[in-house]
Amino acid sequence: MNRSELLFDRPTDLFASAPPEMRGHDRDDVRLMVSTPESDAHYSFTELPGLLKPGDLLVVNESATLPASLPAASRLANIRLNLSTRFADDLWLAEPRWSPSRPGPLPLKEHEILQIGDAKAVLLQQYPGIPRLWFARLDNPASRLMAKYGEPIHYSYAPAYPMSNYQTIFSRFPGSVEMPSAARPITTHVRHMLRSRGIGIVGIILHTGVSSLEIEDETVEHQTLYPEVFRVPEATAHAVNATHARGGRVIAVGTTVVRALETAWTPNGLRACSGATGLYIHPGSKVRAIDGLLTGLHDPVTSHLAMLSAIAGLERVKKAYSEAIRNRYLWHEFGDSHLLWRQDAN
Amino acid sequence: MKGVALVTGAGRGLGRIIATFLAGQGHDIVITARTSIEIHDVAQFLEGNDVRIVPIPGDITDPVHRTRLLQQTRAMGSLSLLVNNASDLGEIPRPELALASLERFRLTLETNLVAPIALIQESLPQLEQTRGLVVNISSDASQGGYERWGIYGSSKAALDLASKTLAAELKPRHIFVVSVDPGDMRTRMHQDAFLGEDISDRPLPEVTLPFWAWLVGQDPERITGMRYQAQGTLWEVPA
Repeated sequence: MNRSELLFDRPTDLFASAPPEMRGHDRDDVRLMVSTPESDAHYSFTELPGLLKPGDLLVVNESATLPASLPAASRLANIRLNLSTRFADDLWLAEPRWSPSRPGPLPLKEHEILQIGDAKAVLLQQYPGIPRLWFARLDNPASRLMAKYGEPIHYSYAPAYPMSNYQTIFSRFPGSVEMPSAARPITTHVRHMLRSRGIGIVGIILHTGVSSLEIEDETVEHQTLYPEVFRVPEATAHAVNATHARGGRVIAVGTTVVRALETAWTPNGLRACSGATGLYIHPGSKVRAIDGLLTGLHDPVTSHLAMLSAIAGLERVKKAYSEAIRNRYLWHEFGDSHLLWRQDAN
Repeated sequence: MKGVALVTGAGRGLGRIIATFLAGQGHDIVITARTSIEIHDVAQFLEGNDVRIVPIPGDITDPVHRTRLLQQTRAMGSLSLLVNNASDLGEIPRPELALASLERFRLTLETNLVAPIALIQESLPQLEQTRGLVVNISSDASQGGYERWGIYGSSKAALDLASKTLAAELKPRHIFVVSVDPGDMRTRMHQDAFLGEDISDRPLPEVTLPFWAWLVGQDPERITGMRYQAQGTLWEVPA
């Protein structure tokens, strides 16, 4: 697939620039578009439990968000160093940016030193195939630097809000640098309604890296993705397999869950699995572990969109996105929701 | 201070990339390769890092050379990471196994199988002190059964089994062993293997950097005995 096929126009006033609770609403007071092969239908998010069947299973990401954006003084200017992926205590993949709204790549060199408050980061090497990302060695524990200087990673469309805005009710294990936001509208109220209806909820952990990367390769399938650390626990593997066996549907809450589950998929079903996954789910991939994806609305030409095309086919995704734009859905982590059923989900 | 590493075959290609990564990580490193000019060039290239780099040219099948290497790591502290990367492709062009020179086959086995095991044997006292990690570089040829890859492939298959066996045997002594298939790369060895062919579609050995970054962050006790594909989509930590 050519990258131009993942392009679409979307008015910039459809970016959600603040969380619903900052706009005077509840977290679950967002819209929900449900896309089946036949139609795209519009609901409010609190109607989700009624749209699922008893015996269906939601899989959520239990990773919590870190204040991973650090102010850094460099030879060039005062910049931001957005930590992306923890490889070791003192070794991170990181994205130097001019500012939240202005990406790199910056003209930085190997061995260049960034000053972060009283600490230093040494830029080691660029990530192969993604020159915007650098391996950086820190002379202080990242946890200390984030606690002292960090703020949540944010981009041009939204300022930094307090950290609590970047956690969901499932956030338990700190490690993501950007909120796994699909579960954000699931309030304790919605969770209660789901459980009362007999819909299960189980967790995986996948620590997200920076999401700011567009697909740059002309051929979508050739794009380099960096790995993310994940864990699919035994109990979750069991629950997913049991749901499939009963004829229930498995709904991934967020693209991170799809990545983790598809990595742990075997011809015999899902297995418990931990490690780092570099799996890239693109239009040529088969998606087998899940029947549906509950997610937000994604930017043009991103790997997330490539994943959506793997689940529902490019045509359906494009149709759904036109529908979302026409109905003025809000984009990004504080925006509206989208439940996308697979072609053959029952 | 990250401890002392020894990287064999560090004069070019993958070994050079691993040495560069480890130097950036703050490891003191002893690097070795047969070609003196290349290994000194690598040492010079790594000078910008605030670590000690000691180039010692020589052949790892030579016991005297191995002793020199391990005396040097001892003098710098104690070996905590041994990367057995030096490999011999064998006859070029690659012959069919049925027609291959047995004399030449033995030489390949000496470099790819016996010498790495010898280095492990001889460095045990140092690795034991540091709860060290051994990384043996393998190849997909060890599992493929590809035509004309029998010499190199069988030497690497044997090394894989040795890695797994050593992992089991050495775990009680807190020495850990993994095997890593780096995948196809645009290196001199790969060009030698595909004489006269265009290999520009293969990635440079830098493609393995993320794997090395991930590997050094792992608890070696949890991953000992594993075989990894550096360009694979899953680097698993067993339960």
